[in-house]
Amino acid sequence: MIELFTSPLILGLVLLGTTLGIIVGAIPGMTGTMLIALTLPMTFSMEPVPALVLLVAMYVGAVSGGLISATLLRMPGTPAAVMTTLDGYPMARAGQPGRALGLGIGASLFGGVISWFALWQLAEPMADWSTKLGPFDIFSLVVLALALLAGVGESTRARGLLAGGLGVLVAMPGMHPATGELRWTLGITSMNEGFRLIPVLIGMFAIGKILDDLTSDEGKMETASGDDSPFIPLSTWRHQIGNLLRSSGIGTLIGVLPGVGANIGSLAAYATAKRASNQPEKFGKGSEQGIVASESANNATVGGALIPLIALGVPGSVIGAVLLGALIVHGLQPGPLLFRQNPQAVHAIIGTVLVANVVMFALMLGGARWIARLPSVPKKILVPIVTGCCIWGAYALNGLWFDVGVMLFFGVVGWRMEKVKLPLAAFVIGFILAPVAEENLCAGLMASGGNYLPLVTKPISLGLLLVATMLLLRKKNVSTKTA
Amino acid sequence: MPIIQKLVRCIGAGISLCLPFMVTAADFPVKPITVIVPFAAGGGSDTFVRIFQKAIREHNLSPQPIVIKNIAGAGGTIGSRAAHDAKPDGYTILFLHDGIYTAQHYGNANWGPADFEPIAATGRNGVVIAVAENSPFQSLSELMTEAKQRPYQLVFGTNLGAPNHYSAMFLQKGKAGAKFRFTQTGGGAKRLAQLKGGHVDLTGFSVAEYEQFKVLDLRALAVLSEQRESAFPDLPTAKEQDVDAVHGLMQFWWAPKGTPPDRIAYFEDLFRRTMETKTVRERLRQLHIAPEFHTGKTLKETIKQRSANLEGITIEKPPPLPPVHWMVLGLVAICGVMVWREDRVKSK
Repeated sequence: MIELFTSPLILGLVLLGTTLGIIVGAIPGMTGTMLIALTLPMTFSMEPVPALVLLVAMYVGAVSGGLISATLLRMPGTPAAVMTTLDGYPMARAGQPGRALGLGIGASLFGGVISWFALWQLAEPMADWSTKLGPFDIFSLVVLALALLAGVGESTRARGLLAGGLGVLVAMPGMHPATGELRWTLGITSMNEGFRLIPVLIGMFAIGKILDDLTSDEGKMETASGDDSPFIPLSTWRHQIGNLLRSSGIGTLIGVLPGVGANIGSLAAYATAKRASNQPEKFGKGSEQGIVASESANNATVGGALIPLIALGVPGSVIGAVLLGALIVHGLQPGPLLFRQNPQAVHAIIGTVLVANVVMFALMLGGARWIARLPSVPKKILVPIVTGCCIWGAYALNGLWFDVGVMLFFGVVGWRMEKVKLPLAAFVIGFILAPVAEENLCAGLMASGGNYLPLVTKPISLGLLLVATMLLLRKKNVSTKTA
Repeated sequence: MPIIQKLVRCIGAGISLCLPFMVTAADFPVKPITVIVPFAAGGGSDTFVRIFQKAIREHNLSPQPIVIKNIAGAGGTIGSRAAHDAKPDGYTILFLHDGIYTAQHYGNANWGPADFEPIAATGRNGVVIAVAENSPFQSLSELMTEAKQRPYQLVFGTNLGAPNHYSAMFLQKGKAGAKFRFTQTGGGAKRLAQLKGGHVDLTGFSVAEYEQFKVLDLRALAVLSEQRESAFPDLPTAKEQDVDAVHGLMQFWWAPKGTPPDRIAYFEDLFRRTMETKTVRERLRQLHIAPEFHTGKTLKETIKQRSANLEGITIEKPPPLPPVHWMVLGLVAICGVMVWREDRVKSK
């Protein structure tokens, strides 16, 4: 494994992949999935190992790059960076963009390394564990995630619930996630899939923000800029070590679960960090702990999502699915035999996760001062570029103008929601979690013949539901005490 | 003179009649050809087309490149709709397996194979019925007897409305009275996880999937092909076990209705040569896809037979599921009222 990364070609590919990944991750509207799908045909003429190295490096870069725009512009470049907007942007606006970036970058490295270790040493037992979770268990896990998230954001509980509920509602049209029947599509074929995540996300955050800026009185793009140092002293990290370990652990564990993975990892870690924190009131206002939790967890999901891919041939994320296709096109047979038949390919994937994380850290930290000036680019240049990227990104996703329309529509929705103080993050979380919850609940019910009892007779599901109930009740006590 | 004039006119008319064909035959394609893959990048269909794309490029089989456009979602119906509505000029074609039949039969699409010009079928993938290693069933006939004696008890993990679901319905049809309880598990590899974790009793895999997964404590009971698959000569067919079920996944290429026949012929020839390349043959062998190739008459017969097979298959509704969408609408309304009251209290 070590010999591989002494080759200048391989190192060059890691550098190229990570750089491109960071750029694409940072641009709202462009995603890592897109980059990897576009690059795949270009790797046809390459040997399998360099091709995999390039693609995995892009994956690591793309998940990390999202923190830049999330922190500086409050536009998550990737879905995984939604939680980073909550604290990264307030901290940056308070004049410390360098520090916010530095925290995010360092935490990303830490999360990446922890998940790399799990991928390297624990892949088989963790993949085995992931198959033990049935549909009811996953449903209960999502309920727990929702319970954790009930306290995120600074708005009142009713507003949080309304925003989350609206997000769930918007996830309803389209194909029923379990039975495949159509509902609320108004007879439009493009609606069969419902509203897709990327157009909704970039619409709500990026287009909504642009509309807000354009219509606000000052006519100035509200962004953060500053010149502080992105280098975080070691003592700060020592303070955060518990948070780092916990969030990376949560990110890795949730990343392993196919279809649940990347987006929920950072949400769950963030909410847990808030629960565990001695300063929960700072969350949402520029908390160090919030940035660290979100960013260490989302990078940890990368290694996590690769675990079932390598051990079982089951992709843990959308990008994982593209990598799976890459393996086959290059003549490698993914699945449990991969380790035995092509150990060098597996070692290349695992090694790249580590090396790309280190490269990402060096590149982003080195460039942080320069990156932090991004928002000082004049509005009349920044706005058209960002809007153009968003429109192109929404269109390129599937080549459908419908998706561009969806994005613009949700831009207006996001802008109006902010005006009436409904939290956007809660909306997006509801939107992401709803299909996962519904699919698993219905799949469980179909398997049990309509019986709800396994929800409380399966030990894992029962445990998760009990923790969720406890959290909800405790939250009530706290709020009555403070009130 | 008049005769000569007539002759000239005739020749002229003849040339001008032939001209379009000659021009198109020589000039097609003059720009890249878009293949719509109605599934996400990385899936089975996408990978299959990418192998073709690679072979066509490596062997210089087409003067213009093949460009893949993934229009994923809703079981392939969004992509097949886009292909259905595309200009029938040969520059947009569709790659879609038996999902084109099942989506129409399941009621999720009001268009089907009859609304396209079929180009070719390239490759057939057998279906293997498998249980977990610790399952009490040693053969398909044992399992089907149980499914007949205790209907709706054995849980079949599948992707509802997709061809895999239809494999299971053909299985039921093959043994009168046998019924499964269907549950949603999603595509290929997710079924493996559910089977391994003991959440479903049986499921179907493509031969290719089974080949990768078989080391993980699985037991194959039967293959749903006409004859035993060369990859597993010891695995009996369903028919050998008194279950009259045959099903398999064919990979089809389609052109929008009205695409000129000479352009269809161009693709027939292109795909025939592609199928013969070393790249494709080797990859298909690795993926355990039988390198069958049908065009013209045999293709039309295959398509007709596949449509006919679906007759007599009735879809049974799952047990009552919570009407989540209406519940959510109610919840949103309640929250809306709460927020409205909150605002009123504040403004007072």
